[in-house]
Amino acid sequence: MAPRVALLAGAVVLLLAAGAARASNDEGDALYALRARMSDPNGVLQSWDPTLVNPCTWFHVTCDHASRVVRLDLGNSNISGSIGPELGRLVNLQYLELYRNNIGGEIPKELGNLKNLISLDLYANKLTGSIPKSLSKLKSLRFMRLNNNKLAGSIPRELAKLSNLKVIDLSNNDLCGTIPVEGPFSTFPLRSFENNSRLNGPELQGLVPYDFGC
Amino acid sequence: MDVIMALAMAGKLSRSSIVLALLRLLPLFCGILLAPSCVATPDTVPATLLQVKAGFTDPDGVLSGWSPEADVCSWHGVTCLTGDGIAIGLNLSGYGLSGTISPAIAGLVSVESIDLSSNSLAGEIPLELGTMQRLRTLLLHSNFLTGAIPPELGGLKNLKVLRIGNNQLHGEIPPELGNCSQLETIGLAYCQLSGAIPHQIGNLKQLQQLTLDNNALTGGLPEQLAGCSNLRALSVADNKLEGTIPSSFGSLSSLQSLNLANNRFSGEIPAEIGNLSSLTYLNLLGNRLTGGIPEELNQLSQLQVLDLSKNNLSGEISSISASQLKNLKYLVLSENLLEGTIPEGLCNGKGNGNGNGSSSLENILLSGNNLGGDIDALLSCTSLQSIDVSNNSFTGEIPPAIDRLSGLVNLALHNNSFTGVLPPQIGNLSNLEVLSLYHNGLTGGIPSETGRLRRLKLLFLYENEMTGVIPDEITNCTSLEEVDFFGNHFHGPIPEKMGNLKNLAVLQLRQNDLSGPIPASLGMIRLQLAGNRLTGAIPTELGRLTGLKILDLSNNNFSGDIPPELFNCSRLTRLNLEGNSLTGAIPSWLGRLRSLGELDLSSNAFTGRIPVELGDCSGLLKLSLSDNRLSGSIPPEIGILTSLNVLNLQKNGLTGVIPPEIRRCNKLYELRLSENSLEGAIPPELGQLLELQVILDLSQNRLSGEIPASLGNLVKLERLNLSSNGLHGQIPSSLQQLTSLHLLNLSDNLLSGAIPGALSSFPAASFAGNDELCGAPLPRSSSCRAPRRLRLRLLGAEVSVIVAAIAVVSAAVCVALLYIMLRMWSNWRAVSVSISDGEESTASTVAHGKAAKWGARDGKYWKVGSVTSAAEGKYSSTSSETSVLHGKPARAVNSKS
Repeated sequence: MAPRVALLAGAVVLLLAAGAARASNDEGDALYALRARMSDPNGVLQSWDPTLVNPCTWFHVTCDHASRVVRLDLGNSNISGSIGPELGRLVNLQYLELYRNNIGGEIPKELGNLKNLISLDLYANKLTGSIPKSLSKLKSLRFMRLNNNKLAGSIPRELAKLSNLKVIDLSNNDLCGTIPVEGPFSTFPLRSFENNSRLNGPELQGLVPYDFGC
Repeated sequence: MDVIMALAMAGKLSRSSIVLALLRLLPLFCGILLAPSCVATPDTVPATLLQVKAGFTDPDGVLSGWSPEADVCSWHGVTCLTGDGIAIGLNLSGYGLSGTISPAIAGLVSVESIDLSSNSLAGEIPLELGTMQRLRTLLLHSNFLTGAIPPELGGLKNLKVLRIGNNQLHGEIPPELGNCSQLETIGLAYCQLSGAIPHQIGNLKQLQQLTLDNNALTGGLPEQLAGCSNLRALSVADNKLEGTIPSSFGSLSSLQSLNLANNRFSGEIPAEIGNLSSLTYLNLLGNRLTGGIPEELNQLSQLQVLDLSKNNLSGEISSISASQLKNLKYLVLSENLLEGTIPEGLCNGKGNGNGNGSSSLENILLSGNNLGGDIDALLSCTSLQSIDVSNNSFTGEIPPAIDRLSGLVNLALHNNSFTGVLPPQIGNLSNLEVLSLYHNGLTGGIPSETGRLRRLKLLFLYENEMTGVIPDEITNCTSLEEVDFFGNHFHGPIPEKMGNLKNLAVLQLRQNDLSGPIPASLGMIRLQLAGNRLTGAIPTELGRLTGLKILDLSNNNFSGDIPPELFNCSRLTRLNLEGNSLTGAIPSWLGRLRSLGELDLSSNAFTGRIPVELGDCSGLLKLSLSDNRLSGSIPPEIGILTSLNVLNLQKNGLTGVIPPEIRRCNKLYELRLSENSLEGAIPPELGQLLELQVILDLSQNRLSGEIPASLGNLVKLERLNLSSNGLHGQIPSSLQQLTSLHLLNLSDNLLSGAIPGALSSFPAASFAGNDELCGAPLPRSSSCRAPRRLRLRLLGAEVSVIVAAIAVVSAAVCVALLYIMLRMWSNWRAVSVSISDGEESTASTVAHGKAAKWGARDGKYWKVGSVTSAAEGKYSSTSSETSVLHGKPARAVNSKS
């Protein structure tokens, strides 16, 4: 019993120290959790020191004047691994730039919590799974570039609710079914969807189920 | 019986060679069939031991004395029964052995105890061990053993202690272990075991200790475990177990320690746990438990540790009484959904405020709940060493009587709504190491008594409303490691002896009203003094901080040159000096700070040229030299900075051309070269910067020539400003591909010809001041001579044809035709690539950081539909056409054009 209590006592001190060193938000923790998931041969995440009060001095992280994380720029950084649910805690994030890496795994549904996100750039990675419906909660989203991945499944109809969406690029994936035609989708060019061999073209409302051919 | 088992084993091995298996089993048969003659034969024991030794690698030579000449009972690690020379024990624990455990070990039939723990043994646990009928103790823990636990171990009828954890064993726990009826201890922790806990374990009436932590076990806790009536310690932490905690566990009257932490247990904590009268340790942290904390837990008078943190427990904590739990030292309820206040009688049953040692409570951790009220009730918990009530909604003041808690080491009150001052009595807490009060509403100054806290390591006061001068006494806190006063209203100088704090690694003083010089004594790795009113020269002594990684002196009133001594800070990763009054040249030695990732010298009065040596800072991500008085040309060496994300040289006196080498900076997302005197053509190479996103701003220069068509490749670009230059020629139609663009300013140039159709959704201001430019959105007087909108009219006709076609065909619908239709529709859509975009989100969500540098006129150049342009967009039109398929309006085409 005695060693266990001693261990716990140690843990308590550590916990207090770590807890105190954290910012009043947990954005740093969320980012650090991302670092833990990534293999980083070029050391681009080296400056991510979890003992700092906030992550605003970390490279590739941009904060606003209130020390809230608004940009994450890890495009072209030769990182691999997966995106975890914790990234959904960066509620002030506007730009998520993880393009041109070797990131695999699925797009976590928690990214739908990034209510201030303007740009979701995950293109040219090795992402699998389907496009989460939860992305339809990204009311501020203007740019969604998920092209050149290995995404499968159908394009969630819920995305048609993204009234601010100006640019979508889902090309060069393995998507299936039909393309939504409502909402912002009424303006997107077909090249945004090309090279998805199982994608059948725009949906005819009420006539064909959208996941036709999935 | 034994023979049947041996045959069964042979059958199990039949995949390889039966003969070989039988050969391997020979010592077994010896043991089983010829036991009487084998056991006592001194001849076979040494031979068997040497076989076992042969399986080991013995780098330290501890077994070198094992020689056939010597008496086996004198061999290192071998124990014999006194007198008759029969080997009964083999203890080779911690001898640095590697290699494998030879199956021959089973030939040691007289042995009752085997301890090979804490070595580096690999390979599998030999199933032959299962025949050692006299074995009472088997310790193989803390090795690198692999494979599954052999079910044959279930044959060990005399086994009392089995500890084989901390290995790399996988597979399931064999239910056969339930046959080892004498078992008192099972230790299988820290392996990769999966599957369920076999309910047969519940048959083990003698079992006192069951330790299965840190595996991948699934399923629920078997009710049958309640049958282990002698169980004293049950530990299954860090698995994937689920279901409820069986209420029948309340009958385990001998249980002293119950650890179910970090599993997926759900439901309520059964009140029957309160019957475990011997319990000293109860850990349920990190599960999915709901409901309230049962009052019955107060019956656990022996309890020393209670950890219910990281669950979904709700209700008040009034059910817990540390005065009833007289032995309770740890009360950990963090990260639940608890509400209400800290009960008055927590440490004092009568609640009359004179709790004199009635509780043993040393640590109370309540962080991350919804608790409120004040913390005065804690003052009667006089044994307290740690208080963590952070991340709640506590109010009131920090009680001056806090010094009654003289043993306090950790005090964490951060992220609450405490008000009032930090009482001077805090100085009496001579054991205090952590004082974390950030993000509250504390006012007043730092009491000079704080200087008496010689053990204080962490002092976090940031994000409060504290005022006054930082007392010099604080430099008496010689143990200080981290100090953060960010975001208060402290004024006056930084204590001069701050640098005498040898252990200080972090000093954060940003956003206060501090003034005066930076003390030369400072020696640290991060120095952030931004946003104060510090004056004078940057002290040369900073050059002694050779370990400095971050130096942020931005937005003060420093003057003079950058001292050359800073060159010694060769580990600097960020150098932020923006917003001062610094003068002189940008030193070329900056190029030798190879770790530099961010260099911001903007808004000073630097003169001279941009040193070419900056090209040596190959890791630079952000380079901002804007708003200075720099002259000369942009060095082509800028192209060496291939990691660069942000380059801001705007508002200087730079001349010459934009170096085409800039194309190699292909990670740039923000490029600002505006308000200089740059000349020549825009290099077409800029079109290779495919990640440009925030802005490409070349405005207010003397650029000439045509806009390169390659700029149409910048599909991520959101803002493009080429205004106030001498650009001529037509606007390249490729700019229509810039689908991400929402801000465009080409005004005040010499552009001519028709505005490409898709750009007509930008306001006229985007194009104003180009006399020979024509077409929408410019006023009609500037309309072009040639008919330009034919294509769109045709489009309209095409639309109606398609509508008709669809109506007809769908009347005679068949699945095959439908598919063809889909294809037709696709083709049509490929032609009618949208020329307009959806609505702009509010300007404020897009504007970030330095976007404000566009100035108040911003809205003028926003695309149609944007909120900011709506007020001024007198030339814009948002009237809509009826969408073909949906029969409802959609913003597709701008009818004005």
